[in-house]
Amino acid sequence: MAQYNIEKQLNILDYALSSLWRRRMKSLSVLLVFAAVIFLLASFQMVTQALSDKAKQVLAYTPEITLQKMSAGRQETFPLTYKDQLDGIFGIRRVVPRIWGYYFDEVRLANYTVMGMDTAEMPEGDRLDSALASGKMPSHEESGRVVIGHSIKKGLDLGGRSTFSLFRPDLSLKPFEISGEFSQNTDILTNDLMVMTLDDARDLFAIPAGQVTDLCVYVANPKEIDTIARKISDALPAVRVLTRPQIQKTYQVVFGWRSGFGSICLLAALAAFVILAWDKASGLSPEERREIAILKVLGWETSDLLAVRFWESVIVSGLACILGMTAAYIHVVYFSASLFRPVLMGWSVLRPELHLLPSMAAGDILLILAFTVIPYLAATVIPAWRSATVPADSALGG
Amino acid sequence: MLIELSEVSKIYNQGHPNEVRALTDIDLRVEQGSMVCLKGPSGSGKSTLLAIIGCIFPPTSGRAAIAEKQMTRLPDRFLTLHRRETIGFIFQRFNILPELTVLDNITLPLLPLGVSPKERKLRAHALLERFGITHRAQFPAGQISGGELQRVAIARALINNQPILLADEPTAHLDTVLSREFMVIMQQLKEAGKTIVIASHDPLVFEHPAIDRIVTIKDGRIHVP
Ligand SMILES: Nc1ncnc2c1ncn2[C@@H]1O[C@H](COP(=O)(O)OP(=O)(O)OP(=O)(O)O)[C@@H](O)[C@H]1O
Ligand SMILES: [Mg+2]
Repeated sequence: MAQYNIEKQLNILDYALSSLWRRRMKSLSVLLVFAAVIFLLASFQMVTQALSDKAKQVLAYTPEITLQKMSAGRQETFPLTYKDQLDGIFGIRRVVPRIWGYYFDEVRLANYTVMGMDTAEMPEGDRLDSALASGKMPSHEESGRVVIGHSIKKGLDLGGRSTFSLFRPDLSLKPFEISGEFSQNTDILTNDLMVMTLDDARDLFAIPAGQVTDLCVYVANPKEIDTIARKISDALPAVRVLTRPQIQKTYQVVFGWRSGFGSICLLAALAAFVILAWDKASGLSPEERREIAILKVLGWETSDLLAVRFWESVIVSGLACILGMTAAYIHVVYFSASLFRPVLMGWSVLRPELHLLPSMAAGDILLILAFTVIPYLAATVIPAWRSATVPADSALGG
Repeated sequence: MLIELSEVSKIYNQGHPNEVRALTDIDLRVEQGSMVCLKGPSGSGKSTLLAIIGCIFPPTSGRAAIAEKQMTRLPDRFLTLHRRETIGFIFQRFNILPELTVLDNITLPLLPLGVSPKERKLRAHALLERFGITHRAQFPAGQISGGELQRVAIARALINNQPILLADEPTAHLDTVLSREFMVIMQQLKEAGKTIVIASHDPLVFEHPAIDRIVTIKDGRIHVP
């Protein structure tokens, strides 16, 4: 009995394939529209997933409170002495000065994120050491030593050497020696990151002595972040106080990705239905009616005819998924999601360049399938019940 | 008795304004190995009677036993299952799917039976050979001649080795030569033991010597002259 059923389904699958082939122009156009919908959805999802992964990792290494100086809406350096103003505030565990900036390498046409900081000063749990694949973080005295991310290493193309140079703003060369390398596991964050001592960063960007771009404030009790931030604001009115929860919110606002994804899913579902409506609204064509009537007289049951439709839809949507997902992956990885550039502009507020390392959870794939394939299957198989209304005797002469 | 109808009536759309009484009190018995012709003017109910014999729908009232099975009040699904084991149909214009190959057309009834591709090919080739159209097996059915098409239609009606053959106006669109050839094949099948019922008002059919009995139908009743 099982053998019979398998054989029968194989036969029906065979028939479905041949009937798709017979209507190949129509099948192909449905397939392409469907694949395009999945392509958009999957690209969007891969990009937003990559961005949110990045955001998560960035946040993990973000101090609880960051102090910056703003002037005319732009960030400025400020004297380290601001730190003294914080002495009296209760609940601050540690204040670590930092220089954070972006270096454009004109020789290699690449952007590096430069962080100058005495990482040994960071509280235990927040240190970057765990992100290292090899070597060690440069200590306070180790001038000229850097830890670099994976893609920087690749871009520098050093051969066997471990030294390279960057230009200061006055175009004089500043030599560096690589003292360590970040692990690929933290690529999302460390891919383009370069960590050096505070003094080296100052030297590289020609920032005057005693000046920094940020002060990182670590607190003893995370529940007090807001209270402490308020106290800091009171003590240093000219300084912008960013808390980790605030930055988190900024990221979320910039992508608005959850809701964005939701609405795109709905749109896609709608599109899938439009494809069908266009495909099915016409009802059964005379040829289809004739074919159904013939098959019925020849002993096909209504369920067999539905199975043909079902297999046709499975084949079309399966192919569309493979096509759409593959195209999306290529789009995101090899073309940097170029179709979404305008949508993603907001990202550049936070980081100058976008290195997308797409990631796609199984759950997301299921979600996309749920919003496209299932409606498509439902909407193609359900109207196929109409075939039940075609009387077999209409195949007889009369 | 392979076909046994008693007091069979068929009313289309019963209870609706467009109700049509197509058959009234039909009594018909056809024994195995005989060939019967249903004759009558257009609209007399020949196709309806064939549909009941062919287990396409049950009669509205009366009793119909086809190959020892009572059709009356059998659910649709069982009619279908019984039909594909028992009845081979040959249609007016042959009802071939023109884009499918000859081979695929002939084996259509075997797909829902779960017959493997290998077995299907085997059975189809035996029939193709018998009717001398083996060289057309892979041709799209829309591209072969009328005579070949007719043999494809007959082959399809025989593919599951059904004991009963029903043909509805099979010669309506054929020239004299092909009509004669059709009856020659029917005669051979009859001699091979098939039970055959043909609805036709073509003299080439009902005057053929192989026809055992002519049943004349008028206004849905069997007409006894
Ligand atoms: N599906 C149907 N619904 C309603 N009425 C029908 C249906 N099929 C046939 N009829 C009617 O039933 C009667 C008998 O029709 P049937 O097709 O059986 O006649 P026929 O002898 O085959 O005619 P023809 O020689 O034109 O093929 C006719 O009045 C026809 O209009
Ligand atoms: Mg008729």
